[in-house]
Amino acid sequence: MAKAAKTVKNGFSLEKKENRTGWIFLAPAVVLIAVMSFYPMIRALILSFETGAGKNMRWTGITNYTRMFQDKLFIQSLGNTFLYLIIQVPIMLVLALIFATLLNNKNLRCKGLFRTMIFLPCATSLVSYAIIFRSLFANDGFVNRILMSIGLISSPVAWLTTTWTARLVIILALVWRWTGYNMVFYLAGLQNIDYSVYEAAAIDGASPWTTFWKITVPLLKPTILLTAIMSTNGTLQLFDESVNLTAGGPANTTMTMSHYIYNLSFQGAPNFGYASALAFVILILVAILAFVQMKAGDSRD
Amino acid sequence: MKKLLTLALAGATAVSLCACGSSASTGTAASTAASTAASAAASTAASAAVSAAASTAAGGGSDELTVWCWDPAFNIYAMQEAEKVYQKTDPNFKLNIVETPWEDIQTALTTAGTSGDYSTLPDIFLCQDNAFQKNVQNYPDMFTDLTNSGVDYSQFGASKVAYSTVGGKNYGVPFDSGCVIGCYRTDILQQAGYTIDDFKDITWSRYIEIGKDILAKTGMPLLSARADETDPIMYMLQSAGASLFDEKGNPTINGNETLKTVMSTYKELIDSGILLQVNSWDEYIGTLTNGQVAGTVNGCWILASIQTAKDQSGKWDITNMPKLENVANATNYSNNGGSSWAVSTNTKNAELAEKFLAATFAGSTDFYATILPSSGAIATYIPAAKSDIYNEPQEFFGGDKIFSKIVDYSAKIPSNNTGVYYYEARSAIATANTNILNGADIDSELKTAQETVEFAMQGSGTSTQ
Repeated sequence: MAKAAKTVKNGFSLEKKENRTGWIFLAPAVVLIAVMSFYPMIRALILSFETGAGKNMRWTGITNYTRMFQDKLFIQSLGNTFLYLIIQVPIMLVLALIFATLLNNKNLRCKGLFRTMIFLPCATSLVSYAIIFRSLFANDGFVNRILMSIGLISSPVAWLTTTWTARLVIILALVWRWTGYNMVFYLAGLQNIDYSVYEAAAIDGASPWTTFWKITVPLLKPTILLTAIMSTNGTLQLFDESVNLTAGGPANTTMTMSHYIYNLSFQGAPNFGYASALAFVILILVAILAFVQMKAGDSRD
Repeated sequence: MKKLLTLALAGATAVSLCACGSSASTGTAASTAASTAASAAASTAASAAVSAAASTAAGGGSDELTVWCWDPAFNIYAMQEAEKVYQKTDPNFKLNIVETPWEDIQTALTTAGTSGDYSTLPDIFLCQDNAFQKNVQNYPDMFTDLTNSGVDYSQFGASKVAYSTVGGKNYGVPFDSGCVIGCYRTDILQQAGYTIDDFKDITWSRYIEIGKDILAKTGMPLLSARADETDPIMYMLQSAGASLFDEKGNPTINGNETLKTVMSTYKELIDSGILLQVNSWDEYIGTLTNGQVAGTVNGCWILASIQTAKDQSGKWDITNMPKLENVANATNYSNNGGSSWAVSTNTKNAELAEKFLAATFAGSTDFYATILPSSGAIATYIPAAKSDIYNEPQEFFGGDKIFSKIVDYSAKIPSNNTGVYYYEARSAIATANTNILNGADIDSELKTAQETVEFAMQGSGTSTQ
């Protein structure tokens, strides 16, 4: 600490004083986060090593973790969640990127209106939009009536009682809701790209397609990485759509991991230890995927 | 700089360790842990239930009680009438009735019970009979013992009282009967050339036969049901006195011949087109009130919802349900649902709650006479069933004396075993049912269902009682 050799009247150097002030400002937040976040996380970890119904919990080591590999329902919900991740996230991010690029056009009129319209879905309540989607895709719902009246189908499609169409409805709902959110991130990122870069590209004779792939996407890499990690995190924890739109879907084929955890905790005889263990598995999965994405995408290393 | 960092981290760790050590009971710790465990999933649902609860927890006032129940046309209406009856004895009496769906009540009970913090619970709440055993056995401290509360349990049907009796003690005041009936639109039956008596004491194959004919002549399915719910399967099973568990609490799903007959009957109902599948409760009620089906088979509490369609007055009638074939002990009677009132231990006025329930739901034949006509709340309170109003012809049902019919059927309901893992078994059967409807083999699906239930039972590690 050779730098802190300069002393002032009250015995603290200027740098030490600034450090101390900084820590004093941070202290309340640190305390709060320790009590509200870290402590419950530690207690939940301890809970995941216990088992029992209701209030009668007893220590059991890692049996909860080994048990989950024999749990067919858990494996099924894991598969469903990953299915949503693999299909929905790329579609949504590409769509958001396309919208952002289109709306970044300097000569487009009513940009504000379009941006608001695309962003508005993510301001809706999760539960109400899921319920509305459910009634839209009911057997006698709006979607079936429109499709029948324009002659695309001859009898109503059972959207929510067939496995793959139920999954499709969930994916559609997710894309509708979150595209605007990611689009806003990309728009912000695009503002950082100097217009002169595009001008130079235009002079060199690059088509919009080439500009998009060779200039926009590489320059937006940090933002794309951010939205990819956030979307992965959100999709792995998917809950509301599974509960309100399809109620786990025909025979648990659209149930997500979080929905299964909820059922374990509140529907049957409550088994909070096992549910806690499953919640930590989700944490581990998200951490692994985030790490992989950062290794693949972060060019700052 | 490093020293300061170490100090700050040590301080933060010390704080969290202090919080560890000073927590008064594992209850508080478990509540934070439970909330984290569930937060990845249940934050929306649980916090909605808890915040609703916070604003409606047991009132501290002297003559006010908070009640949680669902269904405005049925339970809430009954409570409002009970309030009026009791206000004649105690003019200062007031009820704060909060409409809470059953799923939310169950969630609130589980959350309060596991955390040990009962302060969010109301004075009185309605509890499904099927869930009584599970809730009382898991959280015995949450329910007030009503055995010696002034409620005369001998005046209620024995099989009904059995639902809310745990370890020989009574924890609930029985309310409505869930006696299963077949309801039919007589005008549609007439169109196809049938009457209500053609449906009395029949078997399911005869039901399907008539149903196909009606479908061909009028284009109407005979009944509707929710795709993800197993109500029809459960009440068909109970009509033959069978259950998903034996008396010791072991699952009896795999190899259960009665259950196999039930599931194949259900498949036939769907394949023949006479059972219309819908996705939600509102859609189900919609099929009845919008005239999309020719009837339904369900607990008698469905009559309240049917009667909300005033334009269909005079066009309905009821009879008993069809029975299973080639099954021992098959009957035309069963039960679906029904609930009882429980008093939580969070109440500050247990005496008032007990007196209120004893004087109204367990004591007033006038009360039951009042609520009967518009809600169809059939009493399981035997003296009430003898009052004249039960023998009055009901205009909505073509002048038929439906209530005395239902009281008659109620006496013939076979009882069944529910137990702590009833809901796990129900959802396993729902999954099996959906797969069977899509062509899977019944035997292997039942085997999978049994394995799922056994897995859940072994996980909680409680011995079945």
